Amino acid sequence: MNSAAPLAARRRQRNAAERRFRLAALAAVCLSLGFVVFLLGTMAVEGARGFVETRVTLPIDLKAAGLTATDGEARFAAAIDDAATRAFGRNGPACLAEGSWMHLRDAVRQDPALLVRPGSIELPASSPVDVAAKHDGTPAAEAAVARLTAAGALSRGIDWAFLTGADATDPVRAGIWSALKGSLLTLTVTLLLAFPIGVLAALYLEEYAPRNRWTDFIEVSINNLAAVPSIIFGLLGLAVFLGTLHLPRSAPLVGGLTLALMTMPVIVIAGRNAIRAVPPSIRDAALAVGATPVQVMFDHVLPLAMPGILTGTILGLARALGETAPLLMIGMRAFIAAAPRGFTDPATVLPVQIFLWSDQIDRGFVEKTSAAIIVLLVLLLSMSGIAIWLRQRFEARR
Amino acid sequence: MTDAKLSARNVSVFYGATRAIDDVSMDITRDEVVAFIGPSGCGKSTFLRTLNRMNDTVANARVEGTILLDGEDVYAPAMDVVELRARVGMVFQKPNPFAKSIYANVAYGPSIHGLARHRDDMDRIVEDALRRAGLWDEVKDRLDASGTTLSGGQQQRLCIARAIAVDPEVILMDEPCSALDPIATARIEELIHELRGRYAIVIVTHNMQQAARVSQRTAFFNLGRLVEFGATSDIFTNPVEERTKDYITGRYG
Amino acid sequence: MTTTGLLFTIVGLALIGWLSARMRAAAFRRPAIQRFGSLPVHHAWVVALWVLGPPLTFLVIWSLTSPALVTDRVLASPLAAALPASAFERASILSDARALAQGSGGVFHPAAVRLAPAYAAAQRHYDWLASAAALILALAGGVFAFVRVSPAFSARWRLENGVVLLLLAAALVAILTTAGIVGSLLYEAARFFAMVPAIDFLTGTRWSPQVIDPADPGASLGALPLFWGTFFIGAIIAMAVALPLGLMSAIYLGQYARPRTRAWAKPALEVLAGIPTVVYGYFAALSVAPRVRDLGLFLGIADASSESALAAGLVMGIMIVPFVSSTADDALRAVPAEMRDGSLALGATPSETIRHVLIPAALPGIAGGVLLAISRAIGETMIVVMAASGVATLTLDPFASTTTVTKQIVDLLTGEAEFDSAKTLAAFALGLVLFAATLLLNVVALVIVKRYREAYE
Repeated sequence: MNSAAPLAARRRQRNAAERRFRLAALAAVCLSLGFVVFLLGTMAVEGARGFVETRVTLPIDLKAAGLTATDGEARFAAAIDDAATRAFGRNGPACLAEGSWMHLRDAVRQDPALLVRPGSIELPASSPVDVAAKHDGTPAAEAAVARLTAAGALSRGIDWAFLTGADATDPVRAGIWSALKGSLLTLTVTLLLAFPIGVLAALYLEEYAPRNRWTDFIEVSINNLAAVPSIIFGLLGLAVFLGTLHLPRSAPLVGGLTLALMTMPVIVIAGRNAIRAVPPSIRDAALAVGATPVQVMFDHVLPLAMPGILTGTILGLARALGETAPLLMIGMRAFIAAAPRGFTDPATVLPVQIFLWSDQIDRGFVEKTSAAIIVLLVLLLSMSGIAIWLRQRFEARR
Repeated sequence: MTDAKLSARNVSVFYGATRAIDDVSMDITRDEVVAFIGPSGCGKSTFLRTLNRMNDTVANARVEGTILLDGEDVYAPAMDVVELRARVGMVFQKPNPFAKSIYANVAYGPSIHGLARHRDDMDRIVEDALRRAGLWDEVKDRLDASGTTLSGGQQQRLCIARAIAVDPEVILMDEPCSALDPIATARIEELIHELRGRYAIVIVTHNMQQAARVSQRTAFFNLGRLVEFGATSDIFTNPVEERTKDYITGRYG
Repeated sequence: MTTTGLLFTIVGLALIGWLSARMRAAAFRRPAIQRFGSLPVHHAWVVALWVLGPPLTFLVIWSLTSPALVTDRVLASPLAAALPASAFERASILSDARALAQGSGGVFHPAAVRLAPAYAAAQRHYDWLASAAALILALAGGVFAFVRVSPAFSARWRLENGVVLLLLAAALVAILTTAGIVGSLLYEAARFFAMVPAIDFLTGTRWSPQVIDPADPGASLGALPLFWGTFFIGAIIAMAVALPLGLMSAIYLGQYARPRTRAWAKPALEVLAGIPTVVYGYFAALSVAPRVRDLGLFLGIADASSESALAAGLVMGIMIVPFVSSTADDALRAVPAEMRDGSLALGATPSETIRHVLIPAALPGIAGGVLLAISRAIGETMIVVMAASGVATLTLDPFASTTTVTKQIVDLLTGEAEFDSAKTLAAFALGLVLFAATLLLNVVALVIVKRYREAYE
């Protein structure tokens, strides 16, 4: 056959094109997934350091200083400076974190014996020393680390204070608890508002809404709200909650309100899908024994739709938890040195804290930022985990 | 209409512009079983659903004519549809128990109508209904199990128990056996025999033998009209109308 | 009375109403006569709703109007005569006085300290009025409903209507939110355009809000470079990354991958969509931007910036990938299987089928998805806030620094400026443009996707 050869050549060509295309598609997936791994990996490596603190073991003899347990900051600080200078030379005090005197005070209160006999105490290293001990720092700090290492005074430990502390200007003392509590308070407001309103609106649209222009308008509004950029909600919060209603600035109450308006459409959309999935025969069954429409709704439809609604709610809350921009607009970017105690106290939230730390020039904040990101991602991951678990349980039952 | 439990006068039903039921009139007395037969789409189920206003849930359905329950107009504004449906119970084609316990399924109707003052009252009502539905002996040890774990035939009897737990006056059954096997079907038919006299029963069925077995009177519907309504024995042995004869002898349907 | 105290009192009244209505209804209920009538609990809830509904509705409306009333009363007091005439100063003193009166004061304006007692007094006056009105409404509602408790009263259906009203109110929150967004953006933007001509704002090419000439604010508030920067980063660079990656990923996962691979790879890809944008922003600023600048310098571009459009756009593109891939996947799956089978039966290879049959057929769906993705990209804030520059330039050079609308909104509103200066109001004008643009993109995208779905149904 004459045409066989060109045909075979052409087929080879086409098969090669097929392989190339397939490879390109695979490469796209690998590239995207590779980016996920790269991003999470970078954060994990950087962030892991943020959970570790460098400690300096300081030999101390308080008897000579004549300290008592009830002394104030000045005397404790002086005692530490004195001990540090004696142990590590002129630059000794600079190797210790600000606020070390509180550690000493607590140690003395716990073990009054320290006051009368020589001992030693583990104190957090200052930020430059911490940075230099973990990777490369300034020449002065590197020299200090070399000196401390030679003296055998450096050790490492897990920085529990990071999880329990509040924001601070010194990176080794900065913690995320205040931001975490701010997030918690804000999300509580969001949940309390968005969940009931979202569920009731979904019920109205699915069970009652007549097919008319008004209903269409409500539906279009909700679908559009779900796609409006989050920063626009921030502008709304600024203009209405702060500008018109004069609610307190920087408060979890206002943050929660703003995020609730953002989360509500998500809950409505998820809720409607879940309600629509309830078989109509259940409604018939309840109506036929004389249940009113409201009884049908609350006794039968809502319980069956609840897993789907909860899944949507958790995903919506997860989005709200990761949201930054609208909260910047309503002033939740203040420096918060103490955890907020209520819904109207000035507060910040975890993502905003990350944003604020990322802006810091101090190198010590780089790893703190990544560590805060790890905390945020772990929270988000567990929320999605719960949502997926709920969804699967729900699907298995049907 | 002295002893009529339910009576329909010139009833027509429209879905939008389509006429689904055309000028139907009939009386149903309190101690009989009436069967509705006819080809698919003849309107027998639609007519059944107008009797307890289940058609209200269909957005564009409209009913003309009057339906009287004990002489009260079912479609009158003063009629409470909740009360109506409690008095006229319904069993559906596909068993549709709630995804709740067997006990909760039966107790739902009495509890929303406040028929039981105490837990003991409720226990008695539930047991009574399950006994009358012939299900008690099979489920008395697992009242907390979900209603959906029962077999199809048991589920349908549970639905019947659920309907009779509020002690209705009429029970409407919309092809209650079409999703069941022959043994379960026989069990339901037996049950219908036992319930007769206590409740007026209207049953829609596709199965002419079933109509012949369970009913005293039979109505034959075709194309939305009531073609013939009379004693079951007459309809099946000696129908007046040619169309009825054609249908029951299997010429069409 | 404090707000909490007032709410507790109203709820307490509702509880009393509930209990007494229940008792009253239980007394006349005769089971034998009215087997299926309204239950005592229905009567109880109707009364409770009548106690709760009117005062709570009143309080919501009141909270929207009372701040203005309080301010008016303060301004009417003799103390206010000493206030400066300038509206700016006046507003700032008032807001300080308000903060002081509420006990959360920070900035002390001397005039504000003097005005604070008057403010507190006005606040107390209106709080007292509102509390009294709310309690009267609660009592009146309760009494009105209670006297209507009777066997003939169909409490069940009244309750039914009450609940439907509640549901309707919840659904209306969506409309209120939309109205709130449109209203506040339009209102503040209108104030802005009263100071700055719209034509200057929309077509001006010089954006430097740090130094605004009061005589001609429009000269330094030309937003064209921002619009271009937003479009450049969000619609060009980000899409140049997201479209090929997203589309090809969708093709691989939807058409080639085995179900088991798909089962884990698809959720893994969607992790990208779940990562907060602040994390992307941090990543862009920390890891991507320096490398992009090094690349620029390596390529011989002398002014390669560490806040380049390319760095922000690249990371934004990655963020959008799962979005593009899931809409593309949906669109490809919606193509009827017969079309694909027909092509395969002719002897076409899978890639030929995808390129010549599936993608053309799914094009409208994919295009709709891309528009939605663009709308999301131009509204994205944190990545550009953290990785893009604040300097507005009209440039085609991806290595140069560029700014965007969202970045400028954040910058304009996070300074310590007066709320009604041209600078802060410009943020609302930008917000209005952004809102209109995303709305338009969404609507067009939805129309395209809807038409496309209908074509195959």
